[in-house]
Amino acid sequence: MSFLRLDGLVKKFGDFTAVERIDLDVEKGEFISLLGPSGCGKTTTLQMIAGFVDPTEGRIFINDVDVTRVKPSKRNLGIVFQSYALFHHMTVADNVAFGLEMRNIPKQERDERVRETLELVHLDQFSHRYPRELSGGQQQRVALARALVIRPEVLLLDEPLSALDAKIREDMQIELRAIQRKLGTTTILVTHDQSEAMAMSDRIAVMHEGRLAQVDRPYEAYERPSDSFVTKFLGKSNMFDGTGKGSSDGLGAIDVAGVEFLVRDVDIENGALVHVSVRPEKIRLIEAGKGRIDGTVTAQIFLGDQWVFQIETSLGAFDVVTQNTGGHQVGEGTTVGLDWSPEEVRVLARAVAK
Amino acid sequence: MSAQTNMRPYWLSAPALLLYVGMFLIPMVMTLLLSFYSYDMTAGVVPGFSLANYAEVLGDSYFHKIFLRTLWMSVLVTFFCVLLGAPEAYILHRMSSPWKSICMLAILGPLLVSVVVRTLGWAILIGSKGIINETLMAIGIIDTPIKLMFTTTGVVIALIHVLIPFMVLSVWASLQKLDPKVESAGESLGASPFTVMRRIVIPQIMPGILSGSMIVFALTASAFATPSILGGRRLKVVATTVYDEFLGTLNWPLGAAIAVLLLVANILIITSYNKFIERKYAQAFK
Ligand SMILES: Nc1ncnc2c1ncn2[C@@H]1O[C@H](COP(=O)(O)OP(=O)(O)OP(=O)(O)O)[C@@H](O)[C@H]1O
Ligand SMILES: [Mg+2]
Repeated sequence: MSFLRLDGLVKKFGDFTAVERIDLDVEKGEFISLLGPSGCGKTTTLQMIAGFVDPTEGRIFINDVDVTRVKPSKRNLGIVFQSYALFHHMTVADNVAFGLEMRNIPKQERDERVRETLELVHLDQFSHRYPRELSGGQQQRVALARALVIRPEVLLLDEPLSALDAKIREDMQIELRAIQRKLGTTTILVTHDQSEAMAMSDRIAVMHEGRLAQVDRPYEAYERPSDSFVTKFLGKSNMFDGTGKGSSDGLGAIDVAGVEFLVRDVDIENGALVHVSVRPEKIRLIEAGKGRIDGTVTAQIFLGDQWVFQIETSLGAFDVVTQNTGGHQVGEGTTVGLDWSPEEVRVLARAVAK
Repeated sequence: MSAQTNMRPYWLSAPALLLYVGMFLIPMVMTLLLSFYSYDMTAGVVPGFSLANYAEVLGDSYFHKIFLRTLWMSVLVTFFCVLLGAPEAYILHRMSSPWKSICMLAILGPLLVSVVVRTLGWAILIGSKGIINETLMAIGIIDTPIKLMFTTTGVVIALIHVLIPFMVLSVWASLQKLDPKVESAGESLGASPFTVMRRIVIPQIMPGILSGSMIVFALTASAFATPSILGGRRLKVVATTVYDEFLGTLNWPLGAAIAVLLLVANILIITSYNKFIERKYAQAFK
């Protein structure tokens, strides 16, 4: 059985349902991200695991023990808060030692473990400073050390990196991941940043309006999203409404406003209502007339390593991303052909509007 | 041009400065000067310079008793204001929105009513024919009325009520600055609610408790209306003694000397208390 299990968790605040129904199994040592837009219930879910919010329904198991009614102080979880919530009246070392003190660990062992943990987060030089005398990134590390030093069953991180600026955030992502690997602590990260979730996690749990839309490895979730919400949330996509035209020879055909989309290895019923989607980086720009559809470049943005194009076609605007391999210039206003292979087209069931 | 801009702060602070000099500094200096004058039964106030008034106050056990009583009352009132006001502020801080405003109003409301009126209210409550005693006797808990009027206890109770809003307000202000997540953090690290309170919350709201107790202490030490109504002639404190010297005995110089001594004692006690707390909880003050 899995190490951490959420079994039908529901949270209602009065009439409002913040978490609709969450079932999730997390393996020991696994790094899982709860990813979703603002207000989808990520924090509420994390708070239920931590014990600060009582679930309206459902149960939580850690190591096969039902902890649903266990007090937060008895769950032995490490939590890193978005605001860090450091104890500003204590030194870095005292902050980290606090959890050990609460566990009545003898002074000598305590000092040793504090030192080890501060070394792990590269803060051994700062143990006598006060939190206010540290940079944002350093405070973040103190919060992490404080949570890790108690050797928690599960490490819970609520948007721990959102207060840092882009460059430090990337460094911290790599470091956090390395530390987690080294210690093998089962970790749940809450974030609304899809690239952060993909960069760090073994699996991503995409949340949407209080439910889990998809739980999968980052690559799978990106390449094989289970619905249109996940498709759009994990990166950009060109998505259109289409109607099935049947399939033959392992190729499904979908009609989108007169343009035919072929899809590899998908059986499509005639007349089925679907979405088709193609990721921007999967589209090649070729000579006009030779692709699957022609369009006019309306905007062209240079990002250093890549070009981003907006191309107006008979189906509407397409986003196209190409690597900057040097040389090629398209230019706004030119007409180009767009091409993609049937392997790159995704088909998703379309909910019929009621 | 630059000279003009440089002058602006002075012009802007001039009205406040004038008010401060006119209403506070000048009377203070005059009181100080007055305290060195002497008093004669027939001639009245005689200008001059002597320390006789100070010698009289510092040497007379009658005045010692009054000063000690005032100090004791101030300590008691401050102590109970911390004991009651700090938890009150904390509970208020944790309340959710409609009740929070209602309770805040209930706590601050008394500030809108004159001290004299509130004190008279207490007189009605605690008098030997007052509501408290009548009720207790009617239920049969006591046979003879508890004596609260004209006692230190009565004055202290009323002063606590009068001054507690200041404590609640200043603790409340420092609670506002506290990240509510630090309590959750402490709890998740295995601390009991009591330990969270003792090790995390209280040290961080110490500045609020300190400023609250300084306000309460200073106001109690110089309180006049409440001790004079509830304490009466027999239970004199420093402020009522000064009043009596000025308006009863007409010995203004002696009254001035007592007033100056009260001020000096107040300043000494408050600054040393401040130093002590700041050293003990150094980090909370940064
Ligand atoms: N104590 C509460 N009372 C009422 N509603 C609440 C409470 N806490 C959260 N909610 C609501 O529940 C929903 C989910 O909140 P939650 O904090 O879990 O969102 P989130 O996914 O963490 O969002 P964000 O990315 O903005 O932090 C929100 O609509 C929020 O308004
Ligand atoms: Mg959140």
